[in-house]
Amino acid sequence: MRGEPGGSGTARIERRNIEGLSENMQLSSVFQAGGFAYALVSDTQANKTILSELPPTLGEEFGTLLRGSDAKAGISLELEAGGKVEGYGVFEFPYGPVSWGVPEAGGFRLLTYGERVLKVIPQVNFKKRGVEQGVLGCEPEDALLLIERSAGNFSASYSTCFVTAVEDLLGLEVPSKAKWIRAVAIELERIHNHLYVFGRLAEAASQNVAAAQTQALRERVLRLNSKHFGHRYLFGFNSLGGVRRDLRKEERGNLTNDVRLIAREFSGLVEYFLSSRIFLDRLQATARLPRGDALVLGAVGPSARGSGIQWDDRLTYPLEPYEDIYVNLETEPGGDTMARTMVRVREIESSTIALRELLDRMPGDGTEGNTEGHGVGGRTEDFAFCRIESPSGDLIQVAQLDSQGRVSNLHIRPASLVNWLPFAKSLEGNVFTDFQFAFESFGLSFADSDR
Amino acid sequence: MPKSWVVRGLKKGVLTTGYPDAKPTSEELPDRSQPPVPAPNADWTAGEKRCPTGAIRAGEERIDLGSCIYCRLCSSAGFAFEEEGRVTALQASLTAGHGKATGQIFGMSFHVMMIDVGSCNACNLEVLNLSNPYYDLSRLGISFTNSPKHADALIVVGALNPAMTDILKRTYESMPEPKLVISVGACAISGGIFRRAEGFVSPVGDAIPVDVTVPGCPPSPLQILEGLLLATGRMKKDDDRP
Amino acid sequence: MTQAYLISGLLWGTMAAFVAGSAFGFFSKKAAYLLGIAGSALGAVLSLVTLTSGGTAVVDLWQVTSSSSAQLQVSQFNSFFLLISSLVWLGTCLYSARYDDDYPKSLSTLLLLTILSMLFVLVSGDAITFLLGWESMTIASFFMILQGKGEREGVRNAAYLFLAFGEGSSVFIMLAFSGLFSAAGSFDFMGPNMARIISPLGSWVFVTALVGFGLKMGLAPFHMSEWLPIAHSSAPSNASALLSATLTLMGVYGIIDVVWHLGGYQLWWGWLALAIGGISALLGALFSSVSEHSKGLPAYSTIENNGMIVVAIGAYIVASCYNLAPLADFALIAALFHAFSHSISKASLFLTNGWVSKLRGSFDLSSANPIPAEGRRSLGFTGIFTVLSLAAVPPLAGFVSEWMILETLFQSYRFGDLTSQIVGTLVGAVVALAAGIIVVAMTKVYGFGILWPRRSAVKGEKEGLSIEGSLAYFAALIIAIGVAAPAIFLLASDAASQTLGTNPFGTFVTGLLGVPAPFVILSGSPFGGFSPTFTALAFLIILAVVLISAGAVHARPLRFGLRVRRTQGWFAGSARTNDTTAVYNSFGYSTPIRIMFRFLFRTKESAVQVGSVQRTFIRSPEEYVVDLEVLDVFKKFYDVLAKWTLGLSAYTSRKVMPGKLGLYVIYIMAALIFVLIYILLTVS
Repeated sequence: MRGEPGGSGTARIERRNIEGLSENMQLSSVFQAGGFAYALVSDTQANKTILSELPPTLGEEFGTLLRGSDAKAGISLELEAGGKVEGYGVFEFPYGPVSWGVPEAGGFRLLTYGERVLKVIPQVNFKKRGVEQGVLGCEPEDALLLIERSAGNFSASYSTCFVTAVEDLLGLEVPSKAKWIRAVAIELERIHNHLYVFGRLAEAASQNVAAAQTQALRERVLRLNSKHFGHRYLFGFNSLGGVRRDLRKEERGNLTNDVRLIAREFSGLVEYFLSSRIFLDRLQATARLPRGDALVLGAVGPSARGSGIQWDDRLTYPLEPYEDIYVNLETEPGGDTMARTMVRVREIESSTIALRELLDRMPGDGTEGNTEGHGVGGRTEDFAFCRIESPSGDLIQVAQLDSQGRVSNLHIRPASLVNWLPFAKSLEGNVFTDFQFAFESFGLSFADSDR
Repeated sequence: MPKSWVVRGLKKGVLTTGYPDAKPTSEELPDRSQPPVPAPNADWTAGEKRCPTGAIRAGEERIDLGSCIYCRLCSSAGFAFEEEGRVTALQASLTAGHGKATGQIFGMSFHVMMIDVGSCNACNLEVLNLSNPYYDLSRLGISFTNSPKHADALIVVGALNPAMTDILKRTYESMPEPKLVISVGACAISGGIFRRAEGFVSPVGDAIPVDVTVPGCPPSPLQILEGLLLATGRMKKDDDRP
Repeated sequence: MTQAYLISGLLWGTMAAFVAGSAFGFFSKKAAYLLGIAGSALGAVLSLVTLTSGGTAVVDLWQVTSSSSAQLQVSQFNSFFLLISSLVWLGTCLYSARYDDDYPKSLSTLLLLTILSMLFVLVSGDAITFLLGWESMTIASFFMILQGKGEREGVRNAAYLFLAFGEGSSVFIMLAFSGLFSAAGSFDFMGPNMARIISPLGSWVFVTALVGFGLKMGLAPFHMSEWLPIAHSSAPSNASALLSATLTLMGVYGIIDVVWHLGGYQLWWGWLALAIGGISALLGALFSSVSEHSKGLPAYSTIENNGMIVVAIGAYIVASCYNLAPLADFALIAALFHAFSHSISKASLFLTNGWVSKLRGSFDLSSANPIPAEGRRSLGFTGIFTVLSLAAVPPLAGFVSEWMILETLFQSYRFGDLTSQIVGTLVGAVVALAAGIIVVAMTKVYGFGILWPRRSAVKGEKEGLSIEGSLAYFAALIIAIGVAAPAIFLLASDAASQTLGTNPFGTFVTGLLGVPAPFVILSGSPFGGFSPTFTALAFLIILAVVLISAGAVHARPLRFGLRVRRTQGWFAGSARTNDTTAVYNSFGYSTPIRIMFRFLFRTKESAVQVGSVQRTFIRSPEEYVVDLEVLDVFKKFYDVLAKWTLGLSAYTSRKVMPGKLGLYVIYIMAALIFVLIYILLTVS
């Protein structure tokens, strides 16, 4: 079994069988590979990933949610946290799947007696496009086309995750520079996604100037993507064994400069944001998610870090080059929308710093990697997984290849999929108008969770 | 000194593009939005084999832009692309069966509703980007609405998922005449790359009649804007149109 | 002279019709109601004749003392109220002919007896007759409420509450009358004797009269344990209409009458009336908007409207103290007009709601029960005009009167000193707020009470002339009063002229800006003006223009119809289902108000865990029963007060009157009768 990427830092994965989840452990994924069922568990205290055979105690309890690939298209899936709620005047309020507040296809059933949200049941799977099924029998390069478009705004994370897993499986040598370029793409993606979330929150609070300026800033980042990577959403820059674009020295200089300007602009925005009482008031004490609930319900990403859980794949499962550069773990203990927003704000700042470091210290002016001579073969029972910190949280992909080197099995565990229940839990007891803030602050995406 | 958003906003100045009164710049049309242009010696058969979505039709020797996802894998078969930096024309077009509402002038009151029937979210974001200060849809009298009963046009993004078919049809029916349907993105026009997975998605045109298509994966905001202007007959004549 | 004969003849005819109707009630309900309709029609004619001709008539009933006799009198003033009441009685009797089918025969008798006693109250010429009528009105209503459908226990309780507070109001009224008697020397201080009585006990009289009549009108803070909503919602619907529309009207009549007869106004009386009226208006509106009972909601609205009338009376008093004649006149006419529009609209609302509740079989506005499809049109049609009138939408009746009240308060800047100006402004703000909040209640009762109940597949039967006729009649009245407001203004001015000395009609109804006289109502030039007639006309013209141009755009003549394509409602993409659990209900509609005003309502939201379920993914998710409760703080206060009173009286009665309480009651009654007989024998 292969499962250790990159060659360095073997201590971050443990291969042992566990009986059940202990305190501070979070079940991250459940998948089938090579005839066995496995569980990936994150130990948030020891900062380790544990790969174990699926213990019988966890067996059916988490099945549908995390396996996901069994689900067919056209059948909506309802995710219910908590039990029934009854009382005089309680009725159901369907929201979606076509609504303005949520610009994607996905619905919610709200239980309420007017104004107060008693319970939320997200309805997902409207957008199941069958990515995991569509890549079967494809060459990895072709599979990349589908995987990038699984969630367009997280495409760098998705493609990097897949490509890293397959490279491990085949034992490919990837040039360092390619890996550093991939990190640059991922950080740029993180910045534009967090800016999007921030802009949506500002819009929800009717802070139109803040929203407009944030959107303008995001547009600048997207144009940087386009200039240096050839596509606004970073489609098509990754390939098996390397990357397709090079970042030469002058280009890196320009990019560093642009990033610095963006960082400065953003810190000005944050200063204004933190002194805007009305905006802060909408965010504080809204949609509180206590740490215990976040852990049990499987929250990941800035949503989890906003509740005090200390897990960031860049630190706990670092791929090259994250071991060599400094990335700060941003957490907030509050658990409310303000905490999650502050985590994202600080992550933008730390990403700009990380970007500059990445660009300054990028190794060698070597060539871009290509796919020459990749090893076809390896045992078909082999599987490899990779975890990456997408802007929305921890993304896990598990891949298997057949004897001709085509994809024979793919399992994607997106971040948004496990954030639905924490979102539903946090919204209980809040009023209708807080819905938008809770939804945006969790950074949820239906495309991401439905794949 | 008290922090005023108004002052901050005024200090920023104007960022909006000049389009459609001015030609779009290369920054506004990203690299990957240029369509493949077959070189004279292009190998159509190899191209058709290489193309993941079947956009290259060797038999008719043409490229179906609606299926093209602009991945450029066909460059190995001799298909060239415009050089970087040179701005080419945009690619929205009227469909063969477009309704008579296209070309009507809605004036400065054009309400569009975006519906997502199964996209990767990139097209959604590009459509929403139209209201950011760089593109600013409202200066052209176009605005977003969230109810089909108030909508003049329906922007459909995403490959049609069976779960959304009825909903899409219902939305279309709820719109009052005259109405337009604009498919944005390869997925909406032809199903895009997701046609690979059997039994999952279909093109939007299978469910409702489409008037304007805007190819791309995703099309940049300016391209979507061009589609909107084409739909309402406000498109300026452009010599560079293919 | 013949005029006086005509008037007294009509009066006798009206009374006879009602008496006969009450008697016939034991045999045939339809006959009784027919006579009731006849009597009401006669009453309306009587009042119109009196108002337009300016005559009076006095009928002596019997001699009480050498100087005074029990009299009935009809003058311009009480004909105005008689007109309002007759119009309501007519519609109610017509409606009852069919509505009564489920009730025992005694209801018809009691209804007509109540009407008869109200007639007595209105046409009484002296205090004794007034009190006689008042008491019989209370007692007849008590028995009428007892006929209500609902839980036996609850209905009895409600009727008892009504009786208790009815008697309470009688006590206070008697106290007021005693004050007036001591100054006037006789009982003839109601009605035609328009001499102002300056009494050293003036404040006493005013306050007790305000409390006494206020109790009947349900004013806060005398609404004491919410007796009015409870009583009015437990009674049968036609009785509720009568109670809310006309019984409370008697309270208005009483207050205005006492205020007129009292001279030497003091400023603080006006402030008191303004404050009490303002608080009633606001509390009535708030509690109305969070009520889920299809009859409790309009009952609270009655409190609100009566509060507004008292506000107008308060403004009248304050303005009179400052000798601001036009403003005082306007305020008084505003009070009269509002009484008119409220009575008609409220009666209509109760009758409409009553029919809907009957069809649904439930008083709960959140109920999911369907009603048959047939016959919904008349309910919907009348309902919309009623609700719009109560929500003060032009050009209907309610708008004109509320506009007049608000205009009066806007002009409080004319008051002499700062305190009055501040009081006037504050009360104006409160009244405006109440007028806004009542819109929530009205949209709720129409939307969820009349519009929403699903049509069932059952066809149902046609309602018949009785229901449809009475509802159409009320709708027509509401529109007419609004559109022809100057005409009503004329009648109100006639009514008021007796006390004001002049007929203020000409001051307030003129032409302006091209609108010919007498279609514009001015609230004092150069302050504000409005023409409901022309608003209605403009509305109709615009409607016609829109229809014609829409037809022209579609290039088809209007008579072939517009091109129509029917489609489903937009439900966020999902198919519309008949599942009522997935739609907004009435409770949810007003929960934002319950939460916003949680300080006042003491809103308590609770979730009680009732169980837990072992489910996948989440270990033991709990199941909850949730609840949102609101509380009337005044009710709590009065409940506590009542408990203490009961405790105290139990204690003292045991101390002072050991033995059977029943015997003591008999002693007291015997003593009372003895004293009365003694007075009758010795005083004459």
